[in-house]
Amino acid sequence: MKSSGNIKRSLVSGIKKISIWTFFLSLLAVSFVIFLTQSVLPVSSDSQDLHRLAGEQLALNGRGKIPACVPCHGLQGQGNAGIASPRLAGLHPEYIKKQLEDYARNPLKTRAFVEPIARDYVKTPRTYGDLTVFTPGTRYAPKMNELAKILSVDDRHNLAIYYSKLAFVASPKAYDFETLERGEDLALRGKPEYGLPSCDSCHGPGGQGFGAIFPPLAGQPVTYIIAQINQWQAGKRDNDHLALMRNIADQLTDGDKVNVAAYYDNLSYSVNSE
Amino acid sequence: MKRFFLKWVLIFSFYNMAVLPVAAQELGQTLDSLEVRPSLVNSRLSLPTQLTQVHVISPGEYFAPPLVADIPDDRFGDMVRMGRNIFIKTGVYAKRYAGNGLNCSSCHLQEGRKPHGIPLWAAYGRYPMYRHKTRTVVTIEERIQDCFIYSMDGIAPTLDAPEMKALVTYTKWLSKGAPVGVDLPGRGLPNVSRTQDLDPKRGKIVYEIRCEFCHGKDGKGQKHTNGEGYMFPPLWGRNSYNKGSGLQRVRTLAKFIKGNMPLGASFSLTNQESLDVAIYIWLQDRPRNPKMSQAMDFFFPNMAR
Repeated sequence: MKSSGNIKRSLVSGIKKISIWTFFLSLLAVSFVIFLTQSVLPVSSDSQDLHRLAGEQLALNGRGKIPACVPCHGLQGQGNAGIASPRLAGLHPEYIKKQLEDYARNPLKTRAFVEPIARDYVKTPRTYGDLTVFTPGTRYAPKMNELAKILSVDDRHNLAIYYSKLAFVASPKAYDFETLERGEDLALRGKPEYGLPSCDSCHGPGGQGFGAIFPPLAGQPVTYIIAQINQWQAGKRDNDHLALMRNIADQLTDGDKVNVAAYYDNLSYSVNSE
Repeated sequence: MKRFFLKWVLIFSFYNMAVLPVAAQELGQTLDSLEVRPSLVNSRLSLPTQLTQVHVISPGEYFAPPLVADIPDDRFGDMVRMGRNIFIKTGVYAKRYAGNGLNCSSCHLQEGRKPHGIPLWAAYGRYPMYRHKTRTVVTIEERIQDCFIYSMDGIAPTLDAPEMKALVTYTKWLSKGAPVGVDLPGRGLPNVSRTQDLDPKRGKIVYEIRCEFCHGKDGKGQKHTNGEGYMFPPLWGRNSYNKGSGLQRVRTLAKFIKGNMPLGASFSLTNQESLDVAIYIWLQDRPRNPKMSQAMDFFFPNMAR
């Protein structure tokens, strides 16, 4: 009798244990299924292809009020040096998306007109450490500002996916020796005696870009690179991370811009191609 | 009753895991929390009170080393070029002596040229000098050996090794025209005054805002896209400098951070911020000091030397 009671008790407790374990197991299974549906499915190649196709459709033909991207950025997204429009093929999708968001932002609503740095060029000017404000960033380009405002979130995503998957092969151009030598010195070593870091230390070796924050310089039209540095100096573009590029652009002379842009235009560079 | 309860627990957990994040994404809310943005936590719209001293460089203030294009085309120039290669790609050109993923130019920034970034041209004329760490007078070769033992976490090249000769030749060429035995402006690291008020929690916030996008969330750096070497060097972990190196001293690291980091925005952190980040990095794990036993390292992991 005693033993059978023990058996009964142990059976009951076993069932209890089993039920607890099944509960935990079911929780695990459910969380695993959720993990699958949430993280694996959205990045599957099929949906990427769908985004890419939708982006291609929009880039080639436009839609309604949205004009096509091709006339300015080229059939293969290679950019147009004549009108200083950038290459988009092979850029990081997050970078393209961020730029479109920044184009769409209204600068009047976000920018507070507080001059953060007292620009009296004495030995040690003072900046106000407690007025560090992280602005979301704006970028001035009349055509793109209007265009980006009518793009939906999905449109931006599709375009970013489409252009990031395009292949691009740069065609290096010839420049005179002195320009290239000075450009290389700036690109690899910067101007240390002025506190200016090299371009390659952030934009990657050979200016090939690094991650979502640092875009490639190689393969971009010379006119585009110079125009962007000019925009930073004029304060028309301020969507860089921690205002790093603004500080650097302030240090560049007109000669530096030409030399370094020529150096990167002289490099061979390819992306997404065999 | 129990079944009922379990069912609701299940439903609630499912809701938490699956529905809430999706809903947040659909609403277009950004998920960055307020904790990592101190300017939003305590919004300071009053008149500015904290004044930061920012370094502005005037032309001719610092020594300008010769250009790489001007390296002579002779045997001496070959040695200089070899030294430069070792300096910027230590893991490739001095593979047998390097122990981690760093290069000489990870600390001696811009190929050893940057003022306040431990420039070589300011160091060459000061050696041989008395060093408090070893309590002896050391030559520049012995100092380079220490760099390899501690900061590179590797093996010291002998005094007659070609790598050592090349590095000393590169240093000598870089300091062409610099005076001997003089403290040049921009030597070593800028000064950061001592303080007892260090907080790794504040340091973590600063790290997340200003360091993480290059050095990575785990501080292990980021490798090049082709997988060879580091684009942004690791700050801690197996591939970083060991516990005997100079940067393991909190104030030295704070000096380095203040004078050089983030790249292109030197002197943008206050003394307090750089000290906080420094102690946050000091607390992380890294290779042990080779001059200290394994047991000591196990029981006193943060005892530097």
